Amino acid sequence: MTEMWRALSPGMQDALVALLLVAPGILAGAIVLGGLAPRALVRAMLRRFAWVNALFVLLIAVSVGVGTGLVAQERGLRQGSARAAEKFDLIVAAPGSELTAMLAAVYLQPSDMALLSGTQYAEIAGAEGVDFAAPIAFGDSYQGAPVVGTTAQFVTHMAGPLAEGPLFPARGEARGGAYAPLAPGASFSPAHGEADAAEHDAHDGVSYRVTGRMAPTGSPWDRAILVPVEGVWAVHGLPDGHAPGDARIGPPFLSDQIPGTPAVLVRAREVWGNYALKSQFTRKDMMAFFPGTVLAQLHGLMREIRSAMSLLAVLSQVLVTLSVLIGLMILVRLIARSLAVLRAIGAPGRFVFAVVWSYCAVLIAAGAGMGLGLGWGAARLLSAVITSRTDVLVTARLGWNEVHLVAGFISLTLLLALLPAWAAIRRRLLVDLRG
Amino acid sequence: MVPDLLVTGVRVWSGRGRGLLALDRLAVPAGQSVAVMGASGAGKSTLLYVLSGLLPPDEGQVLWAGQDIAALNEAGRAAIRRHSFGLVFQDYHLFEELSALGNAALAAAFAPRAARAALVARAGGWLARLGLAGLDARSVASCSGGERQRIAVARALACEPPVILADEPTASLDRAAADALGADLAQLARADGRTLIAVTHDPAFAARLDRRLVIADGRIIEDSHD
Repeated sequence: MTEMWRALSPGMQDALVALLLVAPGILAGAIVLGGLAPRALVRAMLRRFAWVNALFVLLIAVSVGVGTGLVAQERGLRQGSARAAEKFDLIVAAPGSELTAMLAAVYLQPSDMALLSGTQYAEIAGAEGVDFAAPIAFGDSYQGAPVVGTTAQFVTHMAGPLAEGPLFPARGEARGGAYAPLAPGASFSPAHGEADAAEHDAHDGVSYRVTGRMAPTGSPWDRAILVPVEGVWAVHGLPDGHAPGDARIGPPFLSDQIPGTPAVLVRAREVWGNYALKSQFTRKDMMAFFPGTVLAQLHGLMREIRSAMSLLAVLSQVLVTLSVLIGLMILVRLIARSLAVLRAIGAPGRFVFAVVWSYCAVLIAAGAGMGLGLGWGAARLLSAVITSRTDVLVTARLGWNEVHLVAGFISLTLLLALLPAWAAIRRRLLVDLRG
Repeated sequence: MVPDLLVTGVRVWSGRGRGLLALDRLAVPAGQSVAVMGASGAGKSTLLYVLSGLLPPDEGQVLWAGQDIAALNEAGRAAIRRHSFGLVFQDYHLFEELSALGNAALAAAFAPRAARAALVARAGGWLARLGLAGLDARSVASCSGGERQRIAVARALACEPPVILADEPTASLDRAAADALGADLAQLARADGRTLIAVTHDPAFAARLDRRLVIADGRIIEDSHD
């Protein structure tokens, strides 16, 4: 049995789990409704208290939507942040906080970092097994988008071939990230600094022309404007990595002409080589780390919070379920007279039971279905907001976890709906008939 | 053959111990139409509820076709109502969201699958016979009081019950509509040999029926036949 289960694809396993979760509710329905035809009456009762029913469905939908939306969002955020970092194999920076270095290099968050010297860069770039070592230079911006200096190799590694135009053919030329606020052909003068601290006229007279655009990477680099690292150094009146008069772009750089770089993005020729390089450059005067590892540690720290959130989500679902039960009990009081008429004209208790259960089931199913839709919409909306604020592409989609959550919720509430149905046929017939 | 309805030694008390109904013996032969009259609170509706099994008496028997309705459980009493008694209420108790035919054929919803189509057809036939031909699909919400009560009568007759129990069927109608419905009910019962027991304050309707019972303080104080 275990072997058979393992042989199934993950999607099939998830689908079966969803079916198993919803099965008790469906089974209850099949038993309750077997051979009966309560549809017309249920429809009549739904129409009679349409607004109350709609409100009830909405309440279920909102609670289900919030639950599923938040779970999907949390997962989307984790996946998005991991995706943004996956092209960054190894980062070498001056000793300090790995987290700060990662936030600066991967997520382009403004930060003050010590610089690696030209000699250190040269050592890294020349180390055995290094495919490329890209210095980065940041601190300038244009209309809120960071202007980042780096090398063509790294841009190609991160985003693949340009979506439009050639890559870094000349110093005064820039490439826009996929969603940078500049279209190919536009010119701009960068501001010194970022956000509110930006000095807009500090680099007057310096102009870049955008001649290409990167393919989307799902990272904050999509909003950045990329320029040759030499350009950033030169704009700040620093040596540009090459001998004076040498207009070349890109490595190799002369160690005594490198003004320093806050981080070097390193890629080894072989995957295993990254581990050797990390070990080699983890020392007193520099640190090397895998962004993925730092991110995993960060996610690990948040696991406790996630567990607490999951517990709260389950608790809130339990509360919602109880609220649904109480709500159904109240709704049944609304239809009590109609049910009494049915019983008075001889409807079997089982039929009245089926009517009430079906009525509840329609509300629950409609609410849960609408809740999934709301959750999907909420996740998309939150994803868009988070993406626009962090530039980390968050694509929260409803997954099997949410389907399982809703399937379990539907099943549990359908089973609980047996209670108001049972209560309905225990009501005092004459009292309800007289209203 | 339609059996007689026999009530013996029935007592019903309120929760506070007040006597609501005290009938030593009441026999209603098959096919007889009976008007139950009396002041409000006299026990007329209580009698009807006891007869229909909606209110099990605290003491006594209600015999129908050899069965003591009072001794049956809820399911048994519901089955008697389903198959043998057609109930008509003063304020119709129709489902506003259903059509005239949907209401008249309400019992089809819980009838055995094989019997549903025939029941719907019979309900349609009763609507036509009660003067509502062509109104099958009409919403009950748009019907007049007289039409509504006729739909309620069609609902009561759709299962072809041998007994019709009506609780003030004409009370909510204007004079003309009350007269017309009273005449139809009396005629339908007589023509088909059904037993009709109707609680009413309406002397004109009562005069159309075979027998008149007058109840006061839960007891029959007058029993007159034509």
